[in-house]
Amino acid sequence: MKLRNRFMKADNLRFISHLDLMRVIERAMRRGDIKFSLSKGFNPHPLISFGPALMLGATTHGDYFDVIIEDNLSPQEFKDRMNAVLPEGIYILDSYEVGEKDLLSQHVKEAEYIVKARLFGELKEIQNKIEAFMSKDKIIIKKETKKGKKDIDLKPYILNFKYISTDEGWILLYIKLTIAEGSPGPLYVINAFNKFIGDKIDTETYRLDRKDLILD
Amino acid sequence: MYSIKDKIENILMKVAKPARYTGGEINSIIKNTKDFKIRFAFAFPDIYEIGMSHLGMKILYYLINERSDTYCERVFAPWVDMENMMRECDIPLFTLETKTPLKEMDIIGFTLQYELSYTNILNMLNLSGIPIRRIERDFSPLIIAGGPCGYNPAPLSDVVDLFVIGEGEEVINEILDLYADWKDRGFNKEKFLKEATKIQGVYVPSFYKEEYNEDGTVKGIFPLVEGVPSVIKKRIVKNLDKSYFPAKQIVPYINIVHDRIMLEVFRGCTRGCRFCQAGMIYRPVREKSREGLLELADKLIKTTGYEEISLTSLSTCDYSKIEELIHDLIEKYKERGIGIALPSTRIDAFSVNLLKEIQKVRKTGLTLAPEAGTQRLRDVINKGVSEEDLLNSTKEAFKAGWNTVKLYFMIGLPTETMEDVAGIAYLAHKVADVYKEVRGNTKNLKITVSTSTFVPKPFTPFQWFGQEKIDLIIEKQNLLKNMLKGKIFRYSFHEPHISFLEAVISKGDRRVGQAIVKAWEKGCKFDSWRDYFKFDVWMDAFEEEGINPYFYANKERDFYETFPWDIIDCGVKKDYLIREYNKAMEGKLTNDCRLNCTGCGIKELDKGVVCFEAKK
Ligand code: SF4
Repeated sequence: MKLRNRFMKADNLRFISHLDLMRVIERAMRRGDIKFSLSKGFNPHPLISFGPALMLGATTHGDYFDVIIEDNLSPQEFKDRMNAVLPEGIYILDSYEVGEKDLLSQHVKEAEYIVKARLFGELKEIQNKIEAFMSKDKIIIKKETKKGKKDIDLKPYILNFKYISTDEGWILLYIKLTIAEGSPGPLYVINAFNKFIGDKIDTETYRLDRKDLILD
Repeated sequence: MYSIKDKIENILMKVAKPARYTGGEINSIIKNTKDFKIRFAFAFPDIYEIGMSHLGMKILYYLINERSDTYCERVFAPWVDMENMMRECDIPLFTLETKTPLKEMDIIGFTLQYELSYTNILNMLNLSGIPIRRIERDFSPLIIAGGPCGYNPAPLSDVVDLFVIGEGEEVINEILDLYADWKDRGFNKEKFLKEATKIQGVYVPSFYKEEYNEDGTVKGIFPLVEGVPSVIKKRIVKNLDKSYFPAKQIVPYINIVHDRIMLEVFRGCTRGCRFCQAGMIYRPVREKSREGLLELADKLIKTTGYEEISLTSLSTCDYSKIEELIHDLIEKYKERGIGIALPSTRIDAFSVNLLKEIQKVRKTGLTLAPEAGTQRLRDVINKGVSEEDLLNSTKEAFKAGWNTVKLYFMIGLPTETMEDVAGIAYLAHKVADVYKEVRGNTKNLKITVSTSTFVPKPFTPFQWFGQEKIDLIIEKQNLLKNMLKGKIFRYSFHEPHISFLEAVISKGDRRVGQAIVKAWEKGCKFDSWRDYFKFDVWMDAFEEEGINPYFYANKERDFYETFPWDIIDCGVKKDYLIREYNKAMEGKLTNDCRLNCTGCGIKELDKGVVCFEAKK
């Protein structure tokens, strides 16, 4: 039985990688006494798959993982048992059954992010500035790829970009992006915007949260 | 104002592997810090991934936290990037659990696993804002230390307030009781330490003075005050089955060196290899019962969720019911994909059938440790393994499908000749021939030959030897490099200058301790890490302190000489060690003492010390 799980990962858990997270889930399933399917081969591992990787240091409130289990547990039961044994900071929000052949990667279309950053001094009329930024025909950035740096246009990937609020020197921004093979992440948007406004955002201290992954 | 927690948060994004510093792992213990009389920091002077792999810490962490008056937290050496950020942002070294600065602890307990971590201890104290030298500190925090390197406490005698000699779980509660008592009464450092010396296994270096002969050797270690013991007897757990072993282990988020359940099956070793310090200081052998182990394994799987159990000890295959134990564990857990590992085991003539069983669940490597290249030299070191055994077990393994082998050796052993060294390469070639015989060719075969450099260690029959000169070691390594060419072989070896430093400190006295402080002041740390090891700086430090390091590392010693560690009684008697030394020179073997007692003296250490042999 294949279960799809929407989860959050916050606090210190934001410093663990996708691979680490896979081990965290595997070990939690064992502590929760859940029988899961194992891959064949010399070093059997559970059949877990994730949505698009999240950068180290980012939190999430709506990522997904799929897992194949052998027990006949209801999704609710799976969720409850897991939440009882998962470390603090990671939590399954929702769990449901999907077909064995159903692949998570084929469903992920968009992602929403909240960026929290410190400002150098004051920044007025942020929303106007964002609009000016967004009204450009093209937003060309340099993206690191396996073959070196490449110029790409960010514009078509940005579905929405807006200002939320400012609070004690921290600014909150909302970004919605298309997810596709090789699409740039939200930090490219922030960095391009920061350049556009003349380096007003402290890119050393920002916090990134994936608010949600949107499945079709 | 930023709190220390905020400050840490802000720098974590800028360092490699931030999860080293966050804590919060499954089974780590969070208590309300206000409720405790004693705040204890268990300090491992190396990075998280190494420290977290250490069994002693796993035991003591829970044992101390069982106390209702004490909170034990962990601290590791921050990696260089983190240290730099911390110094830049004024963040003192903090505990993982509650991010409390180390300075606010009552006791900091360092575990001494290898001599090359000593500069890290100094660095950790300094990063905490705590003076390095004990005479510059007031009472708190109290710096204590234990672990195998504590058997020669001399080099750290000006740093550490109190050494624990022997097995920590046996002593620590007595020390904490006394500490709690003194905390109620108001402290007096002298008096507390004085009373602590009444606890067997406690060594307080400030009460002793080291004196020297004209030739630079040690004259003796003499008490400065009345009433302190003239010899410190080690402490041992008499019944390992009944002693404390936690049913939990912390499960880290990131990969550590030994990322698995560590199930200790017995302590000690009966083989009597003459170079091996662990084999001597952890005597006698004490086994745990199979039933107890199975029960514990079950609990540990439930509480950790780990996918692998490693059966740890100095030579796990010597466990008297090893086959049954492995069989039971595999049967019980294979369905769930939980594998068994024998990490510290150098599989000698170990039954390949058992390995095949283990392999069914999880792939394991084939590791053999002949230690020396010729039979003559293997007899000198009392490594009771023959070439025939070795080739037979590799043959069986190749038939069963293995195609990688790791072979461990030591170079620079007493009496070693170039022929013995060449023997290492010949042996590796013979293993390759065996493969060819079994498979027809050597395609896919990989043989890794590793050599470490012999370091004479206190409390071993070889403690009187000097280490071989660096040049000669390099020559031997080059010989092997040349003889192990080709796609099949990979040769790896220890940096000889690092092994040299290890020898200096291993056999060091209090004067060497001064040089360690000097070397740290000049920027030495992480000395066991090749990239950070600064040989020239160390040599400058020795020179500035007027110390000749070759005197410590390379000089042969006299049986009548007093060693700085003679203040410690590890149970194994000097006359036994001398006997073994002489037998080594004659190339005579000593049997495994499970067959019959070879009279090492450990039984006289204490009432109720029982060896494996006596129990049968
Ligand atoms: S006293 Fe005898 S049996 Fe016990 S450890 Fe020593 S040699 Fe072995």
